[in-house]
Amino acid sequence: MIGVQDFCGHYDWTFAYLRHTYGEAALQRYWAEAIAFDSQRHAYELIRDKGFDGMEAYWGHTLTQEEAGYAITRTEDVFRIDMHDCPSKGFLIENGLAAYDDYCAHCMGWIGPVAQRAGFTIDHEHNHRGQCWWQLYRPDEAADLNAARAKAGDKNVELRPDWRRGDRHVYRQCRQMPPEHEDSPDAAT
Amino acid sequence: MAAADFYFAINATFRFILQNYGEEALHRYWRALGAEYYAPLADRFRTGGLDEVARYWTAFFAAEPGGDVSVAREKDEVILTVRECPAIRWLRLHNREICPGYCQHCRHVSTAIAENAGMRFTLTGGGGTCEQTFSLRDGESPA
Repeated sequence: MIGVQDFCGHYDWTFAYLRHTYGEAALQRYWAEAIAFDSQRHAYELIRDKGFDGMEAYWGHTLTQEEAGYAITRTEDVFRIDMHDCPSKGFLIENGLAAYDDYCAHCMGWIGPVAQRAGFTIDHEHNHRGQCWWQLYRPDEAADLNAARAKAGDKNVELRPDWRRGDRHVYRQCRQMPPEHEDSPDAAT
Repeated sequence: MAAADFYFAINATFRFILQNYGEEALHRYWRALGAEYYAPLADRFRTGGLDEVARYWTAFFAAEPGGDVSVAREKDEVILTVRECPAIRWLRLHNREICPGYCQHCRHVSTAIAENAGMRFTLTGGGGTCEQTFSLRDGESPA
């Protein structure tokens, strides 16, 4: 039986299998369809119906269940997550597993489509060391992105001394930025 | 205790492969998963024999959320009696449409693991209740 206790291990292996067998586009479609709107349809329904309250209900439940080290910060127009100790990536690191070369990409792979269909967009960075941040907001509103970062205070994962030690991938409005963007001044302010 | 909602993703993964690539492709995925991802487990079974098989599955079902499974170490085999499968239970509890053939993943994955371990695997039943047996191949002595 395939269990949930080592889920992240066979999930990671499955990413590599799908890409190797069917191509990168198939893997992206797997995240954007099967994970986003089949597996995680409860997340989509919460976010679609309740906005930031739905996000808090979903991630508050899920990340607590997974025993993650994280913080949620809300302002009037931004929902922010600072992940300090991702249990999913942490499982892979702890067990020396890396079948797929960018495991962290799966989160944007499914959360991006969910957020966009629910009327939100996302800025996000991850450093492949089990740390990342997310800011979700409505793209048609003038969201104060720096206010959420400031309100996070010392929970802001970008302030960690080891934040920049990882290989950071940067997304703005759900789109991955080219590598040169990763050292831009606003990336960690 | 592991997060039971991950069963949703396992179920959705099976459905994605089945709907897009067909039943044979889903079987190939399961076989490859058993042969590759679970290769270290097959090594454990090969080295530790049926005692290790019993140890693994006892710990496995203790760690899965819910379900009702017993593991019996017999002279030449290990029998898993699944009275309530934790995955099927969780999917039903949350009104998830279970991917057709979901239960067959156990047959394909565990057969691949058993073959790599020099063992045989059989499964009878399904739909949340089944019996699974790991046994030594004819002519092989227990570790």
